[in-house]
Amino acid sequence: MTDPKPRAAANNKQIRPDGIPKVTGRLRYLTDGSMDGMLYGKIKRSEFPHALITSISVEKAAAMPGVRAVITHEDVPAVNGFGIVMPDQPVLCEDRVRYVGDAVAAVAAETPAEAEAALEAIEIKYEELPVLDSPEKSLSSEAPLLHPEGNVLHRNGYQKGECEKGFNQCFCIVEETYEVPRQMHTYMETEGGIIAPEEDGGISVYMGTQHGFKDRFQLSRILGIEEERIRVVSSPMGGSFGGKDELNVQPYAALLALKSGAPVKIHQTRSESMRSGIKRHPMKITMRTGTDQEGHILAHKVEITADTGAYSTLGPAILDFAVEHAAGPYIIPHVEVNGVSVFTNNGVSGEFRGFGGNQVTFALEGQIDRLAEKVKVSPIEFRKMNLRAEHDPGPLGQTIVPTMGAEHVLNAMEKKPPRLWRKKEWKQYGTGIAITMHGGGLGYGRLDPAGGRLSLTSEGTIEAAFGFEEFGQGITGVIEAVVTEAFGCSREDVTIRIGDTAKVPATGSTTASRGTSMVWHAVQRMKGEFQEKLLDKASAVAGCLKEKLSLGRGGFYCEEEQVLTFRHLANVLETDIVTTTTFDFPTTPDNMDGSHYLYTFAAVRAEVEVDIRTGQVSVAGLNQAVSAGPVIHELGYKGQIEGGGVMSIGYTLMEEASMRQGRYLTENLDTYMIPGISDVPFDLDVHPIESLSDNDPHGPRGVGEIGTVAVAPAIVKAIHEACGVWTNHLPVSPNKMLEHLTEREVQPWIPK
Amino acid sequence: MDTEIENQPVRPLTILSFTINGRTVQVTTDPSARLADIIREALDLTGTKISCGIGRCGACSVWLNGKLVNSCLIMAYQAEGSTITTIEGIGEEDNLDPVQQAFLEEGGFQCGYCTPGMIMAVKSLLKDTPHPSDEEIAEGLSGNLCRCTGYSGIVRAVRRAAEKEQ
Ligand code: FES
Ligand code: FES
Repeated sequence: MTDPKPRAAANNKQIRPDGIPKVTGRLRYLTDGSMDGMLYGKIKRSEFPHALITSISVEKAAAMPGVRAVITHEDVPAVNGFGIVMPDQPVLCEDRVRYVGDAVAAVAAETPAEAEAALEAIEIKYEELPVLDSPEKSLSSEAPLLHPEGNVLHRNGYQKGECEKGFNQCFCIVEETYEVPRQMHTYMETEGGIIAPEEDGGISVYMGTQHGFKDRFQLSRILGIEEERIRVVSSPMGGSFGGKDELNVQPYAALLALKSGAPVKIHQTRSESMRSGIKRHPMKITMRTGTDQEGHILAHKVEITADTGAYSTLGPAILDFAVEHAAGPYIIPHVEVNGVSVFTNNGVSGEFRGFGGNQVTFALEGQIDRLAEKVKVSPIEFRKMNLRAEHDPGPLGQTIVPTMGAEHVLNAMEKKPPRLWRKKEWKQYGTGIAITMHGGGLGYGRLDPAGGRLSLTSEGTIEAAFGFEEFGQGITGVIEAVVTEAFGCSREDVTIRIGDTAKVPATGSTTASRGTSMVWHAVQRMKGEFQEKLLDKASAVAGCLKEKLSLGRGGFYCEEEQVLTFRHLANVLETDIVTTTTFDFPTTPDNMDGSHYLYTFAAVRAEVEVDIRTGQVSVAGLNQAVSAGPVIHELGYKGQIEGGGVMSIGYTLMEEASMRQGRYLTENLDTYMIPGISDVPFDLDVHPIESLSDNDPHGPRGVGEIGTVAVAPAIVKAIHEACGVWTNHLPVSPNKMLEHLTEREVQPWIPK
Repeated sequence: MDTEIENQPVRPLTILSFTINGRTVQVTTDPSARLADIIREALDLTGTKISCGIGRCGACSVWLNGKLVNSCLIMAYQAEGSTITTIEGIGEEDNLDPVQQAFLEEGGFQCGYCTPGMIMAVKSLLKDTPHPSDEEIAEGLSGNLCRCTGYSGIVRAVRRAAEKEQ
């Protein structure tokens, strides 16, 4: 063999391994599947946001044509509850419903229409209870208790210095209350898939999630079946953004499959998804922040109230994250933060890209811009005066990995030449900058195991197996790039195995921007040993000195010549070559519950046009500098920041899943608006800053969330620069803008 | 028994025939069934997706007699005798359409769920307007939502595909 040894060069521009099946429409999503004898499942959800259930009668439904199983709370064999942290959300409600997404019964029938008809025939009687549709109502002394422990899900706070003393020394103080909306993930693929009963009494689950092993654990707790008899196949997915991390329809399909003895498919419609799915926490955040005469921030007092809806899911952790990030990348001597997450009869709030960071960053950066204006310092200069330095501790005083990220991202945005506007008479123009720091991983004191497995397959490929999920973010591209880089092999030499509990090791959740980082760490830990094992065997088979052998495209090279293919080696091997690793996501050595150790940074510069006739705000430019270590996969990285940025343009200007008295006012994408192509700038600028501090051993960080975090405050500051209006509420609708503009008499037709 | 349900009229099924991706097919169906469901379920062409079901997202975009439509809004009887093209009729793994190639190279997709519909829309745009301006791109794709990419990668792909046309 005479192939010169081409070592695979940087693979980070490589097209994604899941690309061809996606662009040809040949990829089978889990909701595209069907099976022989498959039934269709439908879920009966509560008619009321808060009520007692006085009776449930399913006899009629069960007798309807095509109906093969009907389930209620009586059919849940073990724990009738789910929730990643606390299983306080009933799978099927028995005596009380707490929100309009609560499930009371479910049906499996031979056709979707029969299932639908049977659902209608289920009779449930309710006795309505007062609806607690805001945290204020839930916290009032007359409020009924939504859960035995009360209406407070969680409180957290921290304190440093003495805030009141700090404020006494202040020259300038700004106090504002910010309100942010309930945002829907709006993954294009709504929840669903198939669950099939297996001969051993177990089940196979084909439904998307961000953590297959956690679903397996939760399903085992509900069904009373050992985890070993539950297989969860959970990739690929048509988007998640945090929204499919919690269980959604899995328990119903599982119970129906077990009861009917047939595979059951559930695929929620968009309105079913809206009604039942989790959303981003609406929060009310009051901040009081003061500076000395020059603009050094001396004191910062924060009150956060989060509407967590009817059940816990990850509400506590999200509040903790918001509390931790409430002072962001700024060094402030006196800080006091108090947060409370409150149960209500609204939709359940839970995990969503950014995880509480987006809400507090909007408030914090709003404070910073207002203060900068008051003390007459430029917003950039003001931030620099207060910014953390490389070795400063983290926001809770904990040790963190040294980083210059904050300064780097701000400098990058400062250096960017200003936008040249082609101005129109009816428009006003402005630019705003905001920055953020964002923790990766689950945080101190939370189980956060990771790992991976490398093996040589019998077909002669290097299989990289991880318990991660592909929901569009590009983990498969990351795995391919990291493995080809590590071994100098080609993409054809790599098999990626993810998203199937029967075939992959447990490596933790695909959340918290941890996937990229954990894949890289795992491969760095495994590559030496795995390569040694391969070379040992190869040298024996090829009859070539191990020292002279190396890996490359397709196999092994002795000096520049290929002497053995991976395939040949695989064919003659008698024992498998496998290397595994397990480790934990790195955490701070300091005992600060939930605090982070690795942070990423972003600075956003938004350029907006405000049409003063209509109040319409459009974002003409969105530039983001991101400091998250080396870029593994260029298109993937860029795509995360661009897509995250646009998702947050939606959050800032148009998206709100409004509720009135515990009922959604939106049912579908005609009233819940997400950005379309006409709502966004075409050329988003992404500026990765790859450098890390000296001797940083942690490599690339994930960027799945960071691109969403600081967009809203940058846009809102740009609006302020354009027309002098400060807004504290998101989304900034044209109507609200018009009100502000009229109030300020900005419109030229109003005589001064 | 609930008489109301028992007495529900059973709609007569009809036999539809049309050409899809160059193949003539006959389907027995309720005449008011959604074309999107027929494509996905009866014909097992699952590249066409359903995300909103009300004509707002474009995930179900196909060509009906050469025109871009939302197949979730088309009723079965409207497809009688028509010629339909879905993503499966555009290109294959070893014979990609230039638009598909451009999506791969420019990051025009992430989760891929909007992608089949988006590619149908892009092809339709480029057929009418081989060198679209930014405004024309925005207009041509305004019926197709993508939650993942922020559209930047899609715009790059359209520009690249248009360039190649020259
Ligand atoms: S599914 Fe047809 S337009 Fe959304
Ligand atoms: S790629 Fe996910 S919706 Fe467009």
